Amino acid sequence: MSEWFDFAIEHLPYVLQGIPTTLGLWASAMVIGAALGLVLAWARIYGSRPIYLAATVYVEIFRGTPMLVQMLFIYLGLPEIGIVFDPLTAAIIAIGLNTAAYQAEYFRGAVRSVPVGQMAAARALGMGQFQGFKNIILPQALRRVIPQWSNEAILELKYTSIAYAIGVTEITARAEKIGYETFQFFEVFLLIAAIYVVMTSVVAQILLFVEKRVSVPGL
Amino acid sequence: MLLRVENIHKSYGDAEILKGVSFDMEPGQSKVIMGPSGTGKSTLLRCINHLTEPDQGHVFVDGEELTSKNLNAMRQKVAFVFQDFNLFTHLRTVDNVAIGPRKLRGFDKKAALDLAYQELDRVGLSDRADAYPAELSGGQQQRASIARALAMEPKLILFDEPTSALDPELTGEVVSVMNKLASEGMTMLVVSHEIGFARQAADEIIFMEGGKIIEQGPPSQIFEAPQQDRTRAFLNVIEHGGHE
Repeated sequence: MSEWFDFAIEHLPYVLQGIPTTLGLWASAMVIGAALGLVLAWARIYGSRPIYLAATVYVEIFRGTPMLVQMLFIYLGLPEIGIVFDPLTAAIIAIGLNTAAYQAEYFRGAVRSVPVGQMAAARALGMGQFQGFKNIILPQALRRVIPQWSNEAILELKYTSIAYAIGVTEITARAEKIGYETFQFFEVFLLIAAIYVVMTSVVAQILLFVEKRVSVPGL
Repeated sequence: MLLRVENIHKSYGDAEILKGVSFDMEPGQSKVIMGPSGTGKSTLLRCINHLTEPDQGHVFVDGEELTSKNLNAMRQKVAFVFQDFNLFTHLRTVDNVAIGPRKLRGFDKKAALDLAYQELDRVGLSDRADAYPAELSGGQQQRASIARALAMEPKLILFDEPTSALDPELTGEVVSVMNKLASEGMTMLVVSHEIGFARQAADEIIFMEGGKIIEQGPPSQIFEAPQQDRTRAFLNVIEHGGHE
């Protein structure tokens, strides 16, 4: 055990240098996913037939294909038609577009769970549909979606590791590099697993705090 | 004339709920719509501010016709109080009342809150301003939703069975607020079987059956000398405390 600690301390700085990449990739993708997810959810609830269909097709495609395939397609496939991204950008786009599909479904479920009387009351006051959505439905739906959204956020934090496949030097890529240099794969992946657990636990605690902080009786 | 309802028709599939309903209201009047359940009273009320779109007919408020274009502006003049309150769950009571003035009437935050406290005082709820709707009793929730309607300073308030979701011991506090508003000159159109309010505050009772108005007149006439057998039979049931 103490040997492992020595190993960990020796290689930790190099691995930790990848954390800004991992967290930056994750946070950017989650923000893209939340913004796009909300638009998709809106489209699937309130959109006209063509808009509803477009959003549904999007969700089905991005939920129905592996994220690794999506990432490889964006990074290696798109250059063939002249669209070129650096690895980190390609990874952000891939994870962002993918999580958007899932987040859209969580948002949609949360919006649907708000009783219809809430929108009726907003409309009866004189709010338009979008005003009612923004002022009344969304604040309630967002509170209700936090537990599911937290799950998704933690899932995506771990999924950032597949960006290593297209050459993003986040922490998993760094761990692998150390592994090949030292041939201590057991130690290095144990180290990296511990780092992921710490990160996901911190994120879970923060989101739990937010959930409690914004909770309202009766919601 | 404040409200003119002209020949409202509404069907759901094959079921014709409203078969041509017309009536008028003058400013300051209170009218109570009564009649057996399933007779289209609530549908009529919802058609008046187009929460339910009528198939046919016209609604005029202050001489201006309600259309899909002026809908949101017109609804600010015609407030609606729901049977099940529909207070905004995520907002404190005072914010429920303030949100209309804040978002729709161009009030700044302070002015909206000042007005909200004023309206809560009017319905006797100043002390519950900071509570969330889930922390209020049913009667308090309904009074808060009346305050929310009042904060729009509407020309007319529509009440859709405002006491029927309440336990009997809680209806009194809502009815007394409504009586007070009527005596202050608020124009009110109320779907209710609340005899107390109808006798004390209504200028006219509109009796509906089968999607039509079959009798209307001042409470004294409707309650003491109803012209129609159906009206008489119905009043007999509710006056004796039963439910039709």
